[in-house]
Amino acid sequence: MSLFGTTSGFGTSGTSMFGSATTDNHNPMKDIEVTSSPDDSIGCLSFSPPTLPGNFLIAGSWANDVRCWEVQDSGQTIPKAQQMHTGPVLDVCWSDDGSKVFTASCDKTAKMWDLSSNQAIQIAQHDAPVKTIHWIKAPNYSCVMTGSWDKTLKFWDTRSSSPMMVLQLPERCYCADVIYPMAVVATAERGLIVYQLENQPSEFRRIESPLKHQHRCVAIFKDKQNKPTGFALGSIEGRVAIHYINPPNPAKDNFTFKCHRSNGTNTSAPQDIYAVNGIAFHPVHGTLATVGSDGRFSFWDKDARTKLKTSEQLDQPISACCFNHNGNIFAYASSYDWSKGHEFYNPQKKNYIFLRNAAEELKPRNKK
Amino acid sequence: MAICQFFLQGRCRFGDRCWNEHPGARGAGGGRQQPQQQSSGNNRRGWNTTSQRYSNVIQPSSFSKSTPWGGSRDQEKPSFGSFDSGASTNRKEGFGLSENPFASLSPDEQKDEKKLLEGIVKDMEVWESSGQWMFSVYSPVKKKPNISGFTDISPEELRLEYHNFLTSNNLQSYLNSVQHLINQWRNRVNELKSLNISSKVALKCLWKIYTHLSPKIYGPDCSKFIILINKLSDVKDGINQAAPAFGFGSSQAATFVSPGFPVNNSSSDNAQNFSFKTNSGFAAASSGSPAGFGSSPAFGAAASTSSAISTSAPAFGFGKPEVTSAASFSFKSPAASSFGSPGFSGLPTSLATGSVRAPVAPAFGGGSSVAGFGSPGSHSHTAFSKPSSDTFGNSSISTSLSASSSIFATDNVLFTPRDKLTVEELEQFQSKKFTLGKIPLKPPPLELLNI
Repeated sequence: MSLFGTTSGFGTSGTSMFGSATTDNHNPMKDIEVTSSPDDSIGCLSFSPPTLPGNFLIAGSWANDVRCWEVQDSGQTIPKAQQMHTGPVLDVCWSDDGSKVFTASCDKTAKMWDLSSNQAIQIAQHDAPVKTIHWIKAPNYSCVMTGSWDKTLKFWDTRSSSPMMVLQLPERCYCADVIYPMAVVATAERGLIVYQLENQPSEFRRIESPLKHQHRCVAIFKDKQNKPTGFALGSIEGRVAIHYINPPNPAKDNFTFKCHRSNGTNTSAPQDIYAVNGIAFHPVHGTLATVGSDGRFSFWDKDARTKLKTSEQLDQPISACCFNHNGNIFAYASSYDWSKGHEFYNPQKKNYIFLRNAAEELKPRNKK
Repeated sequence: MAICQFFLQGRCRFGDRCWNEHPGARGAGGGRQQPQQQSSGNNRRGWNTTSQRYSNVIQPSSFSKSTPWGGSRDQEKPSFGSFDSGASTNRKEGFGLSENPFASLSPDEQKDEKKLLEGIVKDMEVWESSGQWMFSVYSPVKKKPNISGFTDISPEELRLEYHNFLTSNNLQSYLNSVQHLINQWRNRVNELKSLNISSKVALKCLWKIYTHLSPKIYGPDCSKFIILINKLSDVKDGINQAAPAFGFGSSQAATFVSPGFPVNNSSSDNAQNFSFKTNSGFAAASSGSPAGFGSSPAFGAAASTSSAISTSAPAFGFGKPEVTSAASFSFKSPAASSFGSPGFSGLPTSLATGSVRAPVAPAFGGGSSVAGFGSPGSHSHTAFSKPSSDTFGNSSISTSLSASSSIFATDNVLFTPRDKLTVEELEQFQSKKFTLGKIPLKPPPLELLNI
C-alpha cells in the first residue's frame, strides 16, 4: 500500500469501538504499524529532514532506548538501529543535515548519535532530566538547545562539554519548539517565553498564558512566507491556544479551542477532559494535528478555525506525533502517557507507532 | 488660594463650588508635586473618604496609589477574561491592604466579581468530574496569575518518580506521596468550590489584583505575589495549602531532595537572568556584562553564590503535613514552616524544615521577580526595573515603579514603615504565626522581611 503520492485515502475504520471485547481496538484507523516498536511508552517521535533521501523515523521511549526505522514508500518499516540511555528518553531531534540524531533523557544528559558510525556520545549535562532538545541552525552558529527540569535552557556546541550559553527559566521546562529564528518554551506554572535566535539566543518576550492549566506541548507555525509567526500551545485540559507573536489584532487573532473531550454536544453529562499530548503542524498545508490522552488524533485548520477530522478512539492514549518533511506521513504513537497514574500502567501492553497518509486529509478548508 | 481643609478631610460641602483649592481634583494636570503632601495628609484622615474624584485622575504618582483598595472605583470596566493591555495601565496600583476588602463595590464590579467566583466554582466542578490531570496549576482567568494551592507536576515527572521508587524498592512511599498529593488537591478544590468566607476574601483580593495589575506579569512570577493575598485569608481555615510555596519554584524547597529532582541551587531567580542586555540585579552574580555567546555560564550558574534565596524547587518537595498553613506565612523564621516532604524523598520528612529560608511569602521578599514589587533596597531588581522593554512589556507597574519610585516613597502601600504599626501589629509580624483575629491588615514593614 503506497503511502505517498496517491490520492487514495485510507478511509476511516468502520469497526465499533464500544465495549466489544473480542475486537482488538489497538488500530481502529487501520494505519500502518511500525515493526519492532519499543517495549515501553513512546515519548517522542521525529522524522528525518529533507536533506536525507527517504524517510527515517526516530522514536524515544521509556524503555531507555532510541530506535530508528527506515520508512519506505511502500509503507514498509525496517528497523535500522538503536541506542540506549540510562534513563527514559524524553525528546529526540535531528540535525539539519540528517547525519546526527540528538536524544534527551531522564538521565540528565543529552547525546549525539552519529548514524553513519552508529556511535553516540554525550554532549550535554543538566542537573535534572532533560525534557526538550532541538537543533538550531543559524547563519552564524549552530547548536543544540536543551531544556530541562532544572529550570535552565542550555545551548551546546557539540564539540565542547560546557554550554555556550545558559538561560534561566522561571520554572521547569515542559515543552519547547524551535523554528529559526524563533523558539518557544513553555514551563511549569503556566510560564511561556519566546526567544529570538538571531546572533545569539536571547529572551524576546514573556507571555501570559492563554490557557488556565498546565502547559503540555507547544508547536510553532509559519506564515505564508514561511516565517515563524506564532505557536500553538496545548494544555492538560483538552484545550489548544493559537497565539500569534505580533498580530494586527490580538483579541481577534488569538484564540483557543477545545479538543480531546468526550460528549462533545451533550452538555448535560459531565465531559471527560483529556490532555493534549502533542501538536504538530503540517509542513506544507499549515494545518495542525493534535493527539490526546483520549486515544484520538484530530486535524484542524487554524485559519478557517475548523476541525478537519477526528479519528476513532484507540484503546490507549496517543503520546506523541509528528509529520515527515513533506507532510505525506503522519506518525503517531499509541502508548500509555501516565494520565491516569500508575494504576493504569500495564507493562505488558504493547506499544505501537502508526503511520498514516497525511497528504489529503490535512488540506485546509477551501476558502474559495 | 487656600487649601480647603475640609476637602482634605474629605468633607467639603461645597465641592466644586468651593472657593478654596481642592488639591488634585482639578484633573490630571493638577500638579503632581503638590498632591504628594496632601495625599499623605489625606491618608491619615480617612481611607474611606477619599473622594471619588481622585480615582478619575490618571497619575502614576503616589497620589492615586493612596486610594484604598476598597474605595477605588474603576472607571473603565475591566472586561472579564480579556485584558487590553494598553488602556488600563497606571491605575490603582495601590494595594492598600489596610482597606477593608469587603468594602462595597460598584454594581459592575460586583457583577464581574461574582462572575469570577462563579467561574471558579464551575471550573472546580468540571475539573473534578472530568477526570483531567489533577496536578496542574490553575488560573480562573487566562493570562492572569495562578491561584495558590495547586501544584504543577507533569505526568512525566510523576512517572519518573514511580520508576525511581520502583528501582529502589520503595513503591509504598511513592504511593503514599501520590495519595497525599491527591488529598491536597481535593481539599483545595473543595475549598474553592465551597467558597467559604476566607476564600471569598482571598478571591476578592485576587480579583482586585486581576483588575488592577498589569497583565504583563505572568505566571510564575506573579503567583508568588498572589500567595500573600491567598494566605491572608486562608489562615483561618488552617487548611493544607498545597505548598503554594512549592509551586513557584520558590525558596523553600532547598531541602527537598527527591531522588528525581536534585536540588539545583544554582538556579537563581527567574526574572533576572534572561536578558543579555541589562544587568541583573544580582550584582554579585553576573559579571554585569552581558554574557557573550561563547563565554561560559551566562547568568545561571554564576548566580548561585549571590542568590540569597535558594530557589530550586524540585517538584515534589512540598506537602505540608497537616499542621498549619499559617505558619508558612510567617515572615520570620523559616523553621516555622513545616514543609515536610511527604515521603517522596527517601529522606525523613522532618529534615525538610529548618533550612528553609525565609521568604515564604515570597511575595514581598522573595527575590525580586515577584510581581515587580521587589523589595526596595534589596539586591534584586525585578525585571521591571530593567530598561529592556520587551521582556516584561511596558507594564504600568514598571513605569510607575522605576520611574516614579513613589511606591517606595510612600511606603505605606507595600510595606508599612515600622513606626506606623501598632504594637500589636508589630508583634504579630514578629511572631512565627499569625494569631487569628489579630492579623494585621497592613503590609509588613520592610525590615522584618527575611531575605
